[in-house]
Amino acid sequence: MAEEPILRVRGLVKHYPLTQGILFKKHVGAVKAVDGVSFALYEGETLGIVGESGCGKSTVAKLLVNLERPTAGEIFYKGEDVTRLSGRALKAVRRNIQMVFQDPYTSLNPRMTVGDIIGEPYEIHPEVAPKGNRRAKVQELLDVVGLNPEYINRYPHQFSGGQRQRIGIARGLALRPEIIVADEPVSALDVSVQAQVVNLLEKLQDEFRLSYVFIAHDLSVVRHISDRVAVMYLGRLAELGTDSEIYEHPTHPYTQALLSAVPVPDPEARGKRERIILAGDVPSPANPPSGCRFRTRCWKAQDRCAEEVPELTVPPHLAGADGAAHPSACFYASEDPAP
Amino acid sequence: MPVSQLLQVRDLQVEFRTRDGIAKAVNGVTYGVDAGETLAVLGESGSGKSVTAQAIMGILDTPPGFVTGGEILFQGQDLLKMGREERRKVRGRKLAMIFQDALSSLNPVLSVGYQLGEMFVVHEGMSRKDAKAKAVELMDRVRIPAAKERVGDYPHQFSGGMRQRIMIAMALALDPELIIADEPTTALDVTVQAQVMDLLAELQRESGMGLILITHDLGVVADVADKIAVMYAGRIVETAPVNELYKAPAHPYTRGLLDSIPRLDQKGQELYAIKGLPPNLTRIPPGCPFNPRCPRAQSVCLTDLPPLYDVTDESGAPLPGRGSACHFWKEQLHG
Repeated sequence: MAEEPILRVRGLVKHYPLTQGILFKKHVGAVKAVDGVSFALYEGETLGIVGESGCGKSTVAKLLVNLERPTAGEIFYKGEDVTRLSGRALKAVRRNIQMVFQDPYTSLNPRMTVGDIIGEPYEIHPEVAPKGNRRAKVQELLDVVGLNPEYINRYPHQFSGGQRQRIGIARGLALRPEIIVADEPVSALDVSVQAQVVNLLEKLQDEFRLSYVFIAHDLSVVRHISDRVAVMYLGRLAELGTDSEIYEHPTHPYTQALLSAVPVPDPEARGKRERIILAGDVPSPANPPSGCRFRTRCWKAQDRCAEEVPELTVPPHLAGADGAAHPSACFYASEDPAP
Repeated sequence: MPVSQLLQVRDLQVEFRTRDGIAKAVNGVTYGVDAGETLAVLGESGSGKSVTAQAIMGILDTPPGFVTGGEILFQGQDLLKMGREERRKVRGRKLAMIFQDALSSLNPVLSVGYQLGEMFVVHEGMSRKDAKAKAVELMDRVRIPAAKERVGDYPHQFSGGMRQRIMIAMALALDPELIIADEPTTALDVTVQAQVMDLLAELQRESGMGLILITHDLGVVADVADKIAVMYAGRIVETAPVNELYKAPAHPYTRGLLDSIPRLDQKGQELYAIKGLPPNLTRIPPGCPFNPRCPRAQSVCLTDLPPLYDVTDESGAPLPGRGSACHFWKEQLHG
C-alpha cells in the first residue's frame, strides 16, 4: 500500500453558518460540522469511518462526492484537487466517485421504475453507455447485485428494504466508479438481511477493484468490512489505524470508551468486561470545547487539553510500540485506559 | 415451561385486517415473566414482537388490528376480559411501556415536568403543584442533572439520551410491576445506549419489577436478559435461558441470526447470511414459516407446522425453560 493514494483529504473543513433575522441575515456563528479532517484512501481498500450521530461523518461523505463544497481544505483525486474543479472537469471526476445512501426507502424515487433509477446516471454521462444498449446494461447490473433482471420495470415499493439497498448499490455502480462512498448502507436493514448486503459489497469490491469509504456507527460492521478505520468525534478524527490497531490496540480514550460500550453478543462475557461509561453528552458542534474536543467527557483530561489542540499523529512516546504506534489525537494516548 | 406469576401470555393471536388481506401478525404466542426477571423478545421487523407488546398494553390500533384469541393473564387476571375503564387503571399504574422514539412519544408543546406530573394528576388526583415536585423527584431518579432547573424545559431542549431517560421516568412514575421496553436504545448512540441500559437494569434491581425487553440487537440481549424468546413470523420459534441460547441454539433461525452478525472481538471471513426474506404476513407459507429459508428443511417442514417442542439434553433429561419450534431440534442441538 505504499503507492500514491487514489484519494487524499487534507485539512477538510465544513462550517454551516448560523444566521439570525429574516431579511438581513446576520451571521451569529457556525456549526463546525467538519473541522480539519485529513486521511488517505488507497486503491482497493476499505476505509471505515465510525462515530456517533452529529460527529460529522455524513458531512465528510457529502464533501467527498461533491454534494457539498468545503469551507476549507483539499480533496485530491489522483493528485488533482477536486475542490477547485468546476464544469466538465468536475463532472468527469464525479463519475468516478459515487455514493450509496443510508435509507433505501427515501433515496429511490417512488415514481420511477427500477430500470429508470439505475439507468439515470447514463443520462448525465452518456459516454459510459450509448442509448441503444442501456437496458441491457441495467439488466446486467441487476444481475450483478443479485436481483432478477426481469424486475427492471418494477417500482421501488415492490421491493423489500434489502432489495432496495441492492438497487441503490446498482445505481452507484452504473458508471463504473473507482470509489464508492457508502453512508450507513446497512443500518436500516434487519440483521439477517444486513449480512447479505455486507457480503455483496465485499464481492463487488473484489470484482471491480473498488475502493470504499464505509461510514457507519456500528463498530462491529465497520470492523468486519474495513482494512483501516478512522474514529471521528465532533468534527475531527480522534484515531486512525488498521482494523487491528484500532480494535485491539486503541490508544485514544474516546475509542476505548466507544469500544467498551458496544454490547457483545456473548452472555458469558457479562460483568467480566471492563466498561467505560462516558458521562454527559456530546457538546454542540456550534460551540465545541477549546483544545481537545473530547476533554469535557475525558477522564484523563489535564489543563493542557484545554489549551492545545492535539494533532492526529503517532504519539512520540508510543513510536515503535507494537500495534499502539498509529495516529492518535491525544496527548496522553496509551493502551492503558487508566488515568 | 413453569407458569409465570406476574404476566402470562397464552396462545395470543392478533391479525390486521387490511385492504391487501388479513395479515396474521401474531399466531399463538405464549410467554411469561416473573417479578425481578428480564425477558428479551428477539425478532426482526415484522416478527410480531411489538404487536404482542401492544396487545398486552391494550394500545393496539383497532381497527385494523384485532386480538382474535388467547389470554393475557396479569397477576392472574385476564386483561382481555377487562372493561375499558378497568384496563385503563392497570395501564400506567401496574403496567408501563417505554417506546423506541422518545422524541415522537413526548408532546413537543408541553414541558417535560408537566408531562411527568400528568401521571400523578390523572391517576392519583394530585394537585399540579405536588405533581411538579414529584416530577423533579423522578427526574432525579433517572439521573437527569439539575432536575429542578430543567423541569420546565421542553422535549426539544434535551438530547436523545436525556429524552429516553424522561420516557423511563414516565414509565416508573407509579411504580409499576412490569415494564415493557420496546427497542428502548435503538435510536441512541452506543455510548448513550450503555448509559440507558445500565440505568434500566439498576432501576429494575431497586424496585424488583419485571421487564420485557423487545429488541433486534443480539448484543443488548446478551448483556441484560435472563431468558429469551425468539420470534419469527408471529410465532415463538425458540425459548431459552440466555446463556444456553447463545451457546447452543436449538432452532436453525436462531443459529442463522447468531452467525450473521459481525463480531467486534473477531474478524471473520464472509458472513453467514440467511438466504431470502421474512415472509409476507398475508401469505405465510404452509408448514414451518421458516422453511423457504431453512438449510435443514425436509418435506415434513413444508406441510406440518412444528409446535414448540420441549427441548431435552442428549440423555433425554428436560432442559428447563427451553423450547424449539423445529421438527429437527435434536439434530440442530445435538448434531
